Amino acid sequence: MSDDIILETKGLTREFAGFAAVSDVNLQVHRGTIHALIGPNGAGKTTCFNLLTKFLQPTRGQIWYQGQDITGTRPDKLVAMGMARSFQISAVFPYLSLIENVRLALQRRLGTSFHFWRSTSSLKHLDSRAEELLKSVGLAGMGHTKAVDLSYGRKRALEMATTLATDPVLLLLDEPMAGVGHEDIDTLTELIRTVAVGRTVLMVEHNLSVVSTLCNTVTVLRRGEILAEGSYDEVAGNPQVIEAYLGASDE
Amino acid sequence: MQAFLSQVLLGLINGAFYAMLSLGLAVIFGLLNIINFAHGAQYMMGALAAWLLATYFGVNYWAALIVVPVIVGGLGMLLEKTVIRRTYRLEHLFGLLLTLGIASIIEGLFVNYYGAVGRPYPVPSMLQGAVNLGFMVLPLYRAWVIVASLAVCLITWAVIERTKLGSYLRAATENPPLVLAFGINVPRMIMLTYGLGVGLAALAGVMAAPIYQVNPLMGSNLIIVVFAVVVIGGMGSIMGSVVTGFGVGLIEGITKALWPEASGVVVFVLMAIVLLIKPAGLFGKPFSGATLALDPEARPPLAGEPRQYLVPILAMAALLIVAPAFIYPVFLMKVLCFALFAVSFNLLIGFVGLGSFGHAMFLGLAGYVTGHVARNWGWPPEFAILGGTAAAAALGLVTGVLAVRRQKIYFAMVTLAFAEMVYFFCVQAPFTGGEDGMQQIPQGKLFELIDLAQTMPLYYVVLCIFLLGFLIAFRTINSPFGQVLKAIRENEPRAISLGYNPDRYKLLIFVISAALAGLAGSMKAIVFQIASLQDVYHSTSGDVILMALVGGLGTIFGPLVGAFAIVGMQQYLAPLGQWVVVVQGVIFVVCVLTFRQGIIGLLARWIGRPL
Amino acid sequence: MNDSKTMNVATARLAAPMLQVRNLHAAYGESKVLHGMAFEVHKGEVVTLLGRNGVGKTTTLKALIGMGVHRTGSVIFEGRELITLPSNDIAKAGIAYCPEERGIFSSLDVEENLLLPPVIGRGGMTLDQLYELFPNLYERRHSQGTKLSGGEQQMLAMARILRTGATLLLLDEVTEGLAPVIVKKIGAVVRQLKAAGLTILLVEQNVRFAESVADRHYMVEHGVVVDTYANGERGDRHETLGSAKLSS
Repeated sequence: MSDDIILETKGLTREFAGFAAVSDVNLQVHRGTIHALIGPNGAGKTTCFNLLTKFLQPTRGQIWYQGQDITGTRPDKLVAMGMARSFQISAVFPYLSLIENVRLALQRRLGTSFHFWRSTSSLKHLDSRAEELLKSVGLAGMGHTKAVDLSYGRKRALEMATTLATDPVLLLLDEPMAGVGHEDIDTLTELIRTVAVGRTVLMVEHNLSVVSTLCNTVTVLRRGEILAEGSYDEVAGNPQVIEAYLGASDE
Repeated sequence: MQAFLSQVLLGLINGAFYAMLSLGLAVIFGLLNIINFAHGAQYMMGALAAWLLATYFGVNYWAALIVVPVIVGGLGMLLEKTVIRRTYRLEHLFGLLLTLGIASIIEGLFVNYYGAVGRPYPVPSMLQGAVNLGFMVLPLYRAWVIVASLAVCLITWAVIERTKLGSYLRAATENPPLVLAFGINVPRMIMLTYGLGVGLAALAGVMAAPIYQVNPLMGSNLIIVVFAVVVIGGMGSIMGSVVTGFGVGLIEGITKALWPEASGVVVFVLMAIVLLIKPAGLFGKPFSGATLALDPEARPPLAGEPRQYLVPILAMAALLIVAPAFIYPVFLMKVLCFALFAVSFNLLIGFVGLGSFGHAMFLGLAGYVTGHVARNWGWPPEFAILGGTAAAAALGLVTGVLAVRRQKIYFAMVTLAFAEMVYFFCVQAPFTGGEDGMQQIPQGKLFELIDLAQTMPLYYVVLCIFLLGFLIAFRTINSPFGQVLKAIRENEPRAISLGYNPDRYKLLIFVISAALAGLAGSMKAIVFQIASLQDVYHSTSGDVILMALVGGLGTIFGPLVGAFAIVGMQQYLAPLGQWVVVVQGVIFVVCVLTFRQGIIGLLARWIGRPL
Repeated sequence: MNDSKTMNVATARLAAPMLQVRNLHAAYGESKVLHGMAFEVHKGEVVTLLGRNGVGKTTTLKALIGMGVHRTGSVIFEGRELITLPSNDIAKAGIAYCPEERGIFSSLDVEENLLLPPVIGRGGMTLDQLYELFPNLYERRHSQGTKLSGGEQQMLAMARILRTGATLLLLDEVTEGLAPVIVKKIGAVVRQLKAAGLTILLVEQNVRFAESVADRHYMVEHGVVVDTYANGERGDRHETLGSAKLSS
C-alpha cells in the first residue's frame, strides 16, 4: 500500500511571524491520481504548495517523495527526480519563442547547459520534440511566436507544454485556472485530464466545478490544517466543509 | 599603547562617519529602493558648503551644522522631485546609473571650481585643545564628533521608531500602495525621506570638515567603503547600520595599529567573510527561498537568430581592417581594448542583468600580470597575455563565488567593493610600482614571428584578439548555456523549476566576463607598454558602464560603438580637464532619462532588426 | 417653475446613490479580471459582493480605491468621478479600505497601526472608543502588529479605518479564516457601524455571514455582476455559488 504513495508529508508545519500558515499537515498523494488541495481563502493552500515544491522551507515536518526524504532538497534538483511544477501567474519566458521555451525544459537532459562554446544549433534536434509538445497543448505551428504575444490562456498552455517537457512523474499545478477566461476553462480541463494519464497530479484550485470533474481525491484545508479528505462527493457532503466554505451563521 | 589607542580613536571617528552615511543610505533605500550613489558627493557638498560659508560669508561651524544639512537636503529633495523620481518605474539598475551620473556631475563641477587640493577648515574655538585622560591625550573635537554622531544616529533612530512621521515612513517602506490608499501622500514622503538621507550625509560632511581636508573628491572613496559597510550590516535595520558603522571603524583602527598595510582592505575582507557565512548581512533579513516577484520592466532588447548577425559582423571586421588607413592606429587600438572591455561588461549586464560596478579590477589586474610576466619573467607576449587573462579569470572566480550570493543592487555594491580592495592591493603591492605604475613593458615578438613593436602588425594582432573576444562573447550568448542565462534573466523561479541552479550559471558567466575583461587589459598593457593604477580605479569601472550604456545595453555592436564614442570624447575633450567628468555625468543622466536603448538600440529600432 | 426645478434636483440628489459604479474594467498587467462591473450603494446601506474565489470581488474593491490595478470605466462617489484620481485622493474623498490580507504593518505596534490612517473627515471614532469596542486591542496596544492572532489582526485592520471619519467602508473578506466566535463579534461590529450611519461595501464568501448583516447582495461571476437581490430574497439562487453540490 505504501508503495502506492508517491508524495507524503509528515507533520508539515510552516510558521510566519508566529502564526502557523500550515500546521501539522499529513498529506498522502497516491500514484496515478489527480489530487486537489482546496479550501477557503487563507486556508494555507499556497503556502502548502510552496513547501511541496521547495520554494519555501518548512518550520517543522518532513516531505517524502518516492520513498526519499526531500525536506532539504533544493528546488532545482526536483526536476531530475521527476517532479515538475507550474505557477499561479503563468510562468513563461516572455521574450523567447515558443520553441525556445519548451526546448529549455528539454535541453537540461543533454548535459550541455554549461557549454558556452557550443552553438545553439546543437539544440536544433530538440525542435521536433518541442513542436510535438506544443501541438499536444494546441499550439501547433506557433513555434516561432514570442511567448509575450500569446493570450493568457495560451500562455497557460505553453507553460503546460514546458512542464511536460521535463517528463514528470508528478505534476504540481498551482491554480491552473487562475486568470483563465471562461471560454478556455473547458479546454484547459481537458488538457489536464489528458496529461494526467500515466502521471500523478496534485493541484491547488479554486474552481470547484473543475475540481469536481477532474479529481479523484480532494483534501480540504482550513486555517492551515486538514479538515477533510476523500472523493469530491464525500467532502462536499461533509457539514464541516460546507461550513468552512459558506461560513457558520453567527446567530 | 598611546599609538594604539590613538589609532583606535581614529577608527571610531571613521566609524562615526560610516554610521551616519550608511544610516542615510539605508533610510533612502528602504523607501526609494535605490542605492544612492550620489551619497558620497552629497557628503562632500556638506563639507565644502561649510567651508564656502565660512570663507565667503563668515558663517561659523555651529551655524553650518544647522544650515548646511538644510540646504543640501533641500537640493536633494529638488533632485528627487525633478530627476530621480522618473526612474522608479524602470529597472532598479537605472536608478543606480542615474545617481552615479549625478555624483560625477557634482564632483566634476566642484573639482573645476575648487581644484582637487585639500582646504583646511578650522576647528571651532570651543572645541580646540585636548584633554589628557592619563592613558592618552584626547583632542576635544574628536571626542565631540563621536558623541555628536552617536547623538545624531540616536535621534534619527528615535524619529523613525518613535514618532508619528516615523510610523508613516516605516509603514510606507513595508507597503506603499496601502499607505497611499489610506490617504497619505507617499510621493511627498519619498521626497522628504530622500532629503533626510541627504541631509544626514551633509551633516556628516560638516562634522568631517575640521578633521579631514575639505576636497571635492573626499566622498568618492569613502562611499565605496560605506557600501561595504552596508553589505556587511545588511539594510534591515536602523540600529544595524549604526552598530556596523562604528564596529567596522573600530576594527579598521585596530588593524591600522597592528598591521598598517592591511587597514585599507580589512573592511573588504570583512565583507567577504560576511558574504560567505551570512549572505544577507549581519542585520539583514534572510532570503526566504527564491523570490517569486518578477520585474515587469525587465524587457530584454531585440534578439535575433545568430545568422542574422553574419553580415553585420563581417562588415564590422572589414571596416576595422581598413580603418587604420583613415584613423590614427594607436587611437584605434585604444578603442579596441576598451571595446573588448565593454563587450565583457555588456555580457553581464545586457544579457544576464548583473551590473558589475567594479569591472576595472579585471582589466587592471590582468595588465599588471601581463606586464610582470613579459618584463620580469621575460616570457613572450602570448604567454603574458594568457597569464593576464588567467589571473583575471581566477579573480573572477573568487569574487564571483561571493558576489552571486547577492542580487541586483547588492551585486553592484559587492563588485565595487571588491574592486576597491584590489585597488588598495595594487597601490601597496611592490610588483605594481605603486603610483608610478609598471612601465616599459616589452612588446616582444608574438609566436617569435610578429614584431609587436611595429605599429601596423601590432594593430592587426590587436584586431584579431578583439575579434576573438567578440566572437567568444557572441557564441556564449548563442549557446545552450546562453539559452539558460536568458531563461534565468526572464524568469528566475521558472528556470529553477525546470532544474537549473541560477547561481552556478551566473558564476560561469561572471568568470567568462572577467576573463574577457582580462584579455582586454592584457592587450592594453602590451599596446601601451604600461600598467597603471588608473586601470584599476573605480572611474575606469564607471567609464565601461558608460560605454555600454551609450552604445546600447544588451546589443551586440553597442560596446564597440560606445567605446568609440567615449574614448573619442575623452581624447577630444582632454584639454577641458575635469569638465570631461561633468560631461560624462551629464551623458549618464541624459541616457538614463531619455536614451536608455543607446545608439545601437536606437539604430536597431529604426531599421527594424536586431544589432 | 423655478421652485419645482430646485425641488426636482433636490429629490434627485436624495435618490442618487452614494456610490455608483458603471462599466468598471480592471486588469493586473495583462490578466483582465473585471469586465464591466456595475452596481450602486446608497447611503447607510450594507451591501455585499458575493461569489466564488477569483471572480473579481477583491479586484473590485481595489479598483474602487485605486490600488495596484489598471482600471477604466466610471466610479462616482457623492457626485464625484474617482476613476482618474490617485488612491490617496480617493481616500480623502471619504472611502476607507480594509484589505483582504489585512495589511497590518509588522514594523508598527498596535497603537501605531491604529493611528496610521490620517483623519480625513469628522465623525470618526476616537482611540478610546476604539479600545472600548475592541478591548483586546487595548490590552495588546504595545505589541508588534503582526504578533497578534488572526482574529485580533482582523479587528485591528477594521478598527484602524474607523478613526478616519470615512463615510464608505470597503471591507474585504473580513471573516476569512476566522473562528466562529470571532466572526460573530465582527458581525456585531458591522451592525453597530451601520446603526451609526456608515455605509459599507462588503466582499464575502461566507454567505451566512453576509446575510446576517447586509441589506442587499450582488452576485459576481467572471468580473461582472450577474444577479442582485435584497437580503432574505435569495430563494434558490444559492446554486450560483459555483458548486451546486457544495451547498446542501
